[in-house]
Amino acid sequence: MTATTATTAVPVRAAQLPTGPLGFARDTILLTGRSLRAIPRVPERLLDVTIQPIVFILLFLYVFGSAIHVPGVSYKDYLFPGIIAQSLAFGIIGAGVATSNDMTEGVIDRFRSMPISRLSIISGQVMGQFCEQVLGMVIVVGFGLALGWDPQLTFAHGVELAGLMLLGMLAFTWAGVLLGMLVRSPDAMQGVGFIVIFPLAFLAGTFVPIAGMDAIPRAIAEWDPISALVASVRGLTTPGLHAGGSWQLDHPQLAMALWCVVLMAICVPLALRRFNRTLAA
Amino acid sequence: MTELAIYTEGLTKRFGGFTAVEDLSLEVRDGTVVSLLGPNGAGKTTTVRMLATLMRPDAGRACVGGYDVVSDAARVRELIALTGQFAALDKNLTARENLVLMARLRGRNGRAGRALADQLIDRFDIGDFRDRLVKNLSGGEKRRVDLAAGLIDTPHVLVLDEPTTGLDPRSRQVVWTTIRELVAQGVTLLLTTQYLEEADALADRVVLIDRGIEVAAGTPAQLKAQVGEQRVDIIAADSAAFTELCDLLWERFEVTPSPEQRMISIPAPREAADLAHIAAVVDESRIGVDEVALRRPTLDDAFLALTGHAAHDQTPELEEAAA
Repeated sequence: MTATTATTAVPVRAAQLPTGPLGFARDTILLTGRSLRAIPRVPERLLDVTIQPIVFILLFLYVFGSAIHVPGVSYKDYLFPGIIAQSLAFGIIGAGVATSNDMTEGVIDRFRSMPISRLSIISGQVMGQFCEQVLGMVIVVGFGLALGWDPQLTFAHGVELAGLMLLGMLAFTWAGVLLGMLVRSPDAMQGVGFIVIFPLAFLAGTFVPIAGMDAIPRAIAEWDPISALVASVRGLTTPGLHAGGSWQLDHPQLAMALWCVVLMAICVPLALRRFNRTLAA
Repeated sequence: MTELAIYTEGLTKRFGGFTAVEDLSLEVRDGTVVSLLGPNGAGKTTTVRMLATLMRPDAGRACVGGYDVVSDAARVRELIALTGQFAALDKNLTARENLVLMARLRGRNGRAGRALADQLIDRFDIGDFRDRLVKNLSGGEKRRVDLAAGLIDTPHVLVLDEPTTGLDPRSRQVVWTTIRELVAQGVTLLLTTQYLEEADALADRVVLIDRGIEVAAGTPAQLKAQVGEQRVDIIAADSAAFTELCDLLWERFEVTPSPEQRMISIPAPREAADLAHIAAVVDESRIGVDEVALRRPTLDDAFLALTGHAAHDQTPELEEAAA
């Protein structure tokens, strides 16, 4: 064929794409659905989120636990709130590894070159990861209840706890998605997790009371954001147990909510900016 | 005046100190097929990624359908579809689920999306593996699904980045057939390839690039005229046979002898017919030969002829005939 016989192709659009907030919501739902379908097909990802807390539960409950005595409470009831808060914090690693895997996939390029809201690509990613974190949390809590954990929850405290947990998981998912885009390799994300999140999660009064620690780790633990998470869950499920020692430990629920809001205020804009920068590169 | 589907002027992209694309000026008229031909690392993929709004040019500009890829990126995305050299599919979804998702993201409701996906499955011969996860598909199968996903809405401009690299012959045939159908429908096509043969078979115009720079441009016929025709190469069994062969052939054919390789090269514009003729003459003479082969000009020949240096990656294509 030659250029002179050229006919002009008009894009054939069988459907009108919704635009504005409606289009954004539609694209987000479709892309969240895509992420959710991966859960049963890549079960090792869910395992990443659940196996670690389960190992810690077994290890501390049946191996180290006999040597740890916390006054006024059984070690089982002391341990589970810590594990739950720690799992929430580890969500940052899970979301980061998954995002860093996803962003190197060719399919993200296809989404970017399609006439869809670009924001929906990132919000779909966050929503998918968030649902995965929630599912992982349900499994960990279920495991705890099956082993005889007996949280003393009033209805109001239950609602407060659920709300705080959802807020916390959303904030840590956003932070994970941001880190996942920054590191650009799932292994690097694992490394960041082990260097930053692991020590903070261990110092946070997860397994032993902060009050008994040496001066330096205690000073860190008293202002460690994960301590607020641990103290919040513990305060709501084990009435009468009060850590104290710093402002955030005296007001753990408020402190946890504040940490989450601050984390989101930092991570959401940075994640969006980072995503747009990646496009422009 | 014919509209330009793709227009670039001084297009440049650098990665640190490395210049991937330098001062590239392209014009692709509506309804034509232009092939960007070059070896690995020539800047083909970088160029198409800039056109598909996935990368921002460092200098120069690029327009698709008259819209600038930077300032009017959203418009460009409505006109262009890119099928990359690496399958742009969700590997944890099946072939069909991928197609349904892409159709829905392009505005179809659930029912219409599934119907469209099934049409594409028939058209691209995907039926056998429609319900397999993409991560378990072969390279050729993925490429077919990928191409189908790029054609949810018939695009104004389709960019195919090395659509047949590494494909088995069957998948390659499906891709070529599809390309020809799309061209017949009036879709404008920018095709990158490492194969001179592919550019020759599909393109109206070929732009040869190397290290980000345009080396030559023209119709396939013009380019081939510069590169040279197909040749028959004869390799003699020993140097005595080489001398005998030269004596025998030089009167009848336009021979180019290379004594150090014991090779005699003869132009073969009629391809197989010339090969058969020359092989018959050699066979009748009972002079010992190791090989009589038809040699098509390769990308490397094109580079040697046009730039004086070899391409970075070469894949000689020899079609051998019995000696």
